[in-house]
Amino acid sequence: MNASAAAVPAPRSLLCELTYRCNLQCPYCYNPLDLGRSSDELSEAAWLRVIDEAIGLGIVQIGFSGGEPTLRRRELVAMTERATAGGAYTNLITQGTFLDDALLDQLLAAGLAHVQISIQAPERELAATIAGTDVHERKVEVIERVRSRDVALTLNCVLHRLNHDSLPAILAFAEEHGIRRLELANVQFYGWALRNRSALMPTREQVEHGAVLVAAAQDRLRGKMDVTYVLPDYFEELPKPCMHGWGNVAMTVTPAGTVVPCQGAVAITGLDFPNVGTTTLREAWYASAAFNRFRGNAWMPEPCRSCDRREEDFGGCRCQAFLLTGDAAATDPACAKSPDHGIVVAYRDASSVEERWAPRRPQPALP
Amino acid sequence: MNPRYRLARGIRLRCEAGAEPLLLVPEGIVTLNVSAAAILETLGEGKSVDEVVAALHERFDDSEASLAGDVRETLEDFAAAGFVER
Repeated sequence: MNASAAAVPAPRSLLCELTYRCNLQCPYCYNPLDLGRSSDELSEAAWLRVIDEAIGLGIVQIGFSGGEPTLRRRELVAMTERATAGGAYTNLITQGTFLDDALLDQLLAAGLAHVQISIQAPERELAATIAGTDVHERKVEVIERVRSRDVALTLNCVLHRLNHDSLPAILAFAEEHGIRRLELANVQFYGWALRNRSALMPTREQVEHGAVLVAAAQDRLRGKMDVTYVLPDYFEELPKPCMHGWGNVAMTVTPAGTVVPCQGAVAITGLDFPNVGTTTLREAWYASAAFNRFRGNAWMPEPCRSCDRREEDFGGCRCQAFLLTGDAAATDPACAKSPDHGIVVAYRDASSVEERWAPRRPQPALP
Repeated sequence: MNPRYRLARGIRLRCEAGAEPLLLVPEGIVTLNVSAAAILETLGEGKSVDEVVAALHERFDDSEASLAGDVRETLEDFAAAGFVER
């Protein structure tokens, strides 16, 4: 069933989730509902070993995410420095509220190449409603601080029903702040976002109108700003080529050191994911049963197995298949050919139902 | 008129012996052919097409006329992608 070791390509990118802690409480967060304990977070020494092993495996793209990665500023700087020394490109994925001058200076001196800052909405009040705290003005300051420095900057805004109608204002905000790269990604339903799906699901009108608005903006801003618009899976007829295949290009290390093919995979039960406390990244990538489980196409069910797109979209997202059907080996229900496609159709058609959401926050400790 | 090109902020060229040359960009990897890598390698703090052509002519001994078209096209393609700025 498993791909042979010889056929497994070397990984190219690594996402380090430094912590699941965050000062914001966005309901669309993809982090797991169980945010774990900060005392279980990897030490600086363990993280630096992860970086060294990644470089040794041939990884050239390293992302720092979370939670909010700047909550571990010392480790973040040390890891950026180590990754850069190894020739890797470094990306900081942050909501920005702690990116002060001192930290930015340290990160740039360490070689940081790219900062992605997310906003919740272009309007202060709506942003505060979504984030559960009023930090919009601080973020605006941080965006201004970063854009003047020698580092690539991407502005990101996750779109969902609560902020989708602000799309024109997001574009105006990006223009006003001289943004060169703007990422408008519709919410995908993992972790907290899945928990809050019925409150966050955009309406079909929002999604379709958004595509038209963005296409016009892309034309108008060509050469000035690169605007990407990611449709929500639930509104697509074909699944996304998730992670370009399971264990094919990328891996993620979670705050507590679990090695997964992508950050959503922690939700899949029944796969025994390796941990950097007891294994190397090399063993995890090439030899672990969890990484080999969905490599190649021998694991695929019908209709994937005989589908002529199987080498293009790899059966879609394993995490979404698991979350929606209970079987990680099922065809991604986002695909119109999936026998379970009715599940996503039912959810997207119910998207006009008003509903409160649960703000992301640590669960009460179990006794 | 005669714009000078350089790598855009946060765009990194990675040329290592024994490995294919790469352009590392925000959350992405672009595999370069040898001539594109050579062009980008010469840019430094900023070079015009003519300056790039002169540098490559010295290095590869191709005719300047045949180089100029390639260089301009390559730099404009990378500029359109946002990886090179004028």
